[in-house]
Amino acid sequence: MNRTVRKLFSNASSLVGIVLLFIFIIIAILAPVIAPPLSDDPYQVPRMSWDVNPQPPGFLMSDNIREIYDFMGTEIKYDKAICGTAEGGYDIFYGLMWGTRTAFRIGLITVAVAGLIGVFIGSISAYFGGWIDEILMRITDIFLSFPFLIAAMVLTTVLGRGLDKVMIALIIFGWMGYARLIRGSILSAKEETYVMAAKALGVKDIRIIWKHLLPNTIFTVLVQATMSIGSMVITAAALSFLGVGAPLGYADWGQMVSFARNWIIGAPGHAGQYWYTVFYPGIFIVLFVLAWNLIGDTLRDILDPRLRGEL
Amino acid sequence: MIINNKKFVLGVKDLKTYFFTEDGVVKAVDGVDFEVYQGETLGLVGESGCGKSVTAFSIMRLLDYPGKIVGGEIIFKGENLLTKNDAEMRKIRGKEIAMIFQEPMTALNPVLTVGFQISEALMMHFKISKEEAIKKSVELLKKVGIPMPEQRVDEYSYQLSGGMRQRVMIAMAMSCDPVLLIADEPTTALDVTIQAQILDLMRSLLRGLNGSLIMITHDLGVIAEIADRIAVMYASKIVEYADKKTIFYTPLHPYTFGLLTSIPRLDLDLKRLDVIPGIVPNPLHFPSGCKFNPRCRFATNKCREEEPPLTKVEEGHLVRCWNVDKVVKEVKKGLLVGV
Repeated sequence: MNRTVRKLFSNASSLVGIVLLFIFIIIAILAPVIAPPLSDDPYQVPRMSWDVNPQPPGFLMSDNIREIYDFMGTEIKYDKAICGTAEGGYDIFYGLMWGTRTAFRIGLITVAVAGLIGVFIGSISAYFGGWIDEILMRITDIFLSFPFLIAAMVLTTVLGRGLDKVMIALIIFGWMGYARLIRGSILSAKEETYVMAAKALGVKDIRIIWKHLLPNTIFTVLVQATMSIGSMVITAAALSFLGVGAPLGYADWGQMVSFARNWIIGAPGHAGQYWYTVFYPGIFIVLFVLAWNLIGDTLRDILDPRLRGEL
Repeated sequence: MIINNKKFVLGVKDLKTYFFTEDGVVKAVDGVDFEVYQGETLGLVGESGCGKSVTAFSIMRLLDYPGKIVGGEIIFKGENLLTKNDAEMRKIRGKEIAMIFQEPMTALNPVLTVGFQISEALMMHFKISKEEAIKKSVELLKKVGIPMPEQRVDEYSYQLSGGMRQRVMIAMAMSCDPVLLIADEPTTALDVTIQAQILDLMRSLLRGLNGSLIMITHDLGVIAEIADRIAVMYASKIVEYADKKTIFYTPLHPYTFGLLTSIPRLDLDLKRLDVIPGIVPNPLHFPSGCKFNPRCRFATNKCREEEPPLTKVEEGHLVRCWNVDKVVKEVKKGLLVGV
């Protein structure tokens, strides 16, 4: 394990990934300091103006909104749209800072739960084999036969709008890869003599899976999971972009991009006039996914004995 | 049960284990009978694929799909193991009957410490705490002759040599003081010098417990070293069954005779080493009649038509052959190594 950590830090590309990830973690932790919330729900992106048109970076909160906060007796701790505002006056910078938390939540929770489900189903299926394997793997096949994005979109639409619904949809259609992966690894690992030796000592099946097989096989799943944290965030962003994800005004990168939908080209005669609406959220998503992929790539290089040159 | 003043530990009666493969039914073990008495060592000898390992796995009830025990009885301590359910069987495995495997390299889990693997069985069968189990593991490691057991107990299998790993396997198998130990070619993967040490260790540990041993091997040298009685297996069946002396001095089956004459000898001036011609028949297409007949130099038409039964030629000596008298003549020529 120490060796793995050391290699992660000595490899240039993974170091870039780690630094990026570290910055995102800092942003997520310090979000209340960097972008102090103006309402009770910190995930609600504040509006800097009522104007439909996006406002350029450096825009100060319009007077009529200031009046509302004054009227409600809220202290305005934050009134400058550093990255400009999106459609409807939503502050982009605020959305990005708090959206980092959303991104981590979506990525980590969906991957962790989907990974657990996948590992559970895959390991049971591989270890016991026979009709259990047949049934579980056919169920996996059925789930695999749905196109991921469309299935997640339909399910989110059915369940209703909201980030939790997005995560449920992503989990329900995201566990199959792990199930297949761990099944393959366990199928080959269970033929090892140490499994037979454990059985010959009277060790229970569940314990053999948990203590003997999973520690030998979980690494492939860890690599896969690291890589898919990024893609889960992208898919969630895509759902938000398509309007079935986070509720309106929720701090979510996908939502910020979706606010930019009508403004990407710019006004006639002013191409790219509203570049900030799409650039800032876009760069956050790209860097976040890149960070995870770089780490995942290096992790695979370290943990795969074939690439390590030991086999 | 007591037979011949010896306490009976295990009785295998007409055991039949078949593998239901896509190409057809492979009769890996087809009607095997033998018994093991307390404190004695039974040697199960045969070429690769003759069914000796499958017999061992059948006794442990550790056969995987598509293998299945289709008939017979395995009587252990007066009870038929084949009627036991999984939970009852698990209590017997490791505690009453233990097993040692051929490959010490792969029989230890690479990601778990030696101590963990030894204490696992102890914790399960004796319901003791982890600390006690580790303490007992250290004692066991000391008992099997591993230096610095306190340190070794926290090490992983890759840090040990082959002989040490086999010692750890023995410690694991002996951890719960089993009544019966099944050793499936425990010395095959080891150096000759280490082999002798491992055999000595197993013998002394078992003597201390008055436990029984089933030694599965293709190595007649190992058998000569350790066994009291020997069952020679060929093509899923026992072809000769007698005590060690009888097998080595007066074998009555042509296969046993062939095995013994194919041991290289330095004391005789022989131009060529005797070998048994041919190979073990494919279990999907066994020859008709006696399964050894295509390779047997004494084979007659009767051998090709009718399979001989396992018959008693004298007390405690069973042979499956029609031409015992021809083998006797050959043995008298005195080409055997002897014990």
